[in-house]
Amino acid sequence: MIAIHVSDLVKRFETITALQGISFSVNEGETFGFLGPNGAGKTTTIRILTGISPPTSGSASILGKDIVNETIAARKEIGIVHETSNVYDDLSAWKNLIFSAELYSVGKEERESRGKSLLELFGLWERHNDRVKGFSKGMKRRLTLAMGLINNPRILFLDEPTSGLDVQSNLIIREVIRDLNTKGVTVFLTTHNIEEANVTCDRVAIINHGQIAAIDSPERLKKTIQSVQSVKVAFADADPSIKECLRELPLVNEVRKEGDKYRLITEKPPVVIQAVMECAAEQKVTVISMNTYGPSLEDVFIRLTCLDVRTKGVRAID
Amino acid sequence: MSQVLYELRASWAIAKKDAAIYYLKPNILVSGALFPLFMFLAFSVGRPAEPALMIPGLVAITILFSSSTIEPVSIPIERRMKTFDRLLSAPISLHAIVLGESLSGFLYSIGIASVPCIAGFVLFGTGLSNGIPFLIGVVLTAFCFATMGTLFAAYPTESPGDIMSMLNLVRLPLIFISGIFIPIASIPYPGQLLVYCSPLTYGTDLIRAGFSGPTLFHPAVDLVMLLLFIGVFQVLANRLYKRFNE
Repeated sequence: MIAIHVSDLVKRFETITALQGISFSVNEGETFGFLGPNGAGKTTTIRILTGISPPTSGSASILGKDIVNETIAARKEIGIVHETSNVYDDLSAWKNLIFSAELYSVGKEERESRGKSLLELFGLWERHNDRVKGFSKGMKRRLTLAMGLINNPRILFLDEPTSGLDVQSNLIIREVIRDLNTKGVTVFLTTHNIEEANVTCDRVAIINHGQIAAIDSPERLKKTIQSVQSVKVAFADADPSIKECLRELPLVNEVRKEGDKYRLITEKPPVVIQAVMECAAEQKVTVISMNTYGPSLEDVFIRLTCLDVRTKGVRAID
Repeated sequence: MSQVLYELRASWAIAKKDAAIYYLKPNILVSGALFPLFMFLAFSVGRPAEPALMIPGLVAITILFSSSTIEPVSIPIERRMKTFDRLLSAPISLHAIVLGESLSGFLYSIGIASVPCIAGFVLFGTGLSNGIPFLIGVVLTAFCFATMGTLFAAYPTESPGDIMSMLNLVRLPLIFISGIFIPIASIPYPGQLLVYCSPLTYGTDLIRAGFSGPTLFHPAVDLVMLLLFIGVFQVLANRLYKRFNE
């Protein structure tokens, strides 16, 4: 069954068109990643899919329920974890969770038993009577996720779930997402963390300037840009001038310094490996390690969103 | 369980949440409880007046300020903290949100208004001759101005000060055109027309009927007009929240 269906969705804000007719479907039980640079239309899409904001034209449905005409029925099927940890600082963790359950009309017995198990799952039960004001960022994020799951949703919208979190919170949240997926819950995940999307998502959509640039599994997307392969090499006691030597090698499109290693972007890794060894012999330096890499999801993202990454930051080139 | 019952429960949950978080906030206590008290004292101390005139006025002012103060403070704060999105994305209608927010202001007001009532009864003796119009007047006036506060809070700002400024532009003139401090007969003619446009006129009149004080209208007229204002404010609030969320 189709969990989320979006057809030709357009959203205009006066003179700005935030979404320019996007269409996609998410299957039930799938973990679907929604990637895009800031201002690409990710949050606008989530606001429409959760019925907060109506589309200018086009349609969207949640488990067959039209989000405009059957908003409340559609919302009953979903849990939402907003980008900001929007919890009530002046209430305890328990009262936050119970309030969320009351908004979703979860019965008293169910909300109490489910509330307890969710707080235990997210490692917050020991602090359940404490006001949230004293919680760390990671604890608030975990509580936000618990609140998003209190109604036992069939679809979970996660907006940047692990952004800027500590390792413990990150691990707990990723484990929960994996667990939800095995239980058949559909997860719609927006993230800036491309590696997170790579390891978590069944499929990924890349959105840019309000249009879908690509939708596919991470591995298939990577295959579309085989030209972005690379060789990563580490030298013992290499002089910084080695970078110039590497840059002049044949078939090397770009050289990036990554920590104590150099990454050489090329279409022909075997040829470059040979050339690197010759360069090292010429410079009288020892090669400690050398590995070849296929294109990463980040490369796909950069290619499709036309971002140019430089050591000084990221800038749009179109 | 019907959707109506779902929504009523959600409204009640919103009101309870507001009570737990906002009722004892210092800015709420100052503008909702202390401000009307001092305003009343400023206008009434030293003036000879019958309890039947004074107590309804004090009760009406207290209700006006206390009931319309919670939402203009809480909703902008919740917009800033993004907790308002939690309500907007819940499986409930905007009606339930507006009702829940209004209910929160209403309950706060009833609690605060009971203070001048009890004080008035103790200091001046009860003077209350008919409890029914008094109780209906208190309840409807409180709900009416709680809805008005929710209506003003629809303005999409994250700063409570923005809404309080707009609200005071309406609340303060209402006091002077509703027969609390200035007898309506002594208001110049064009101003007398405004008297009929103020829900506070009907609220004060109905409360005053409970004290057998001089009234402008039959209690039934006051009751219908207050219900009408509540209906209009509720509908307008729904439309504004919908419009500003687009």
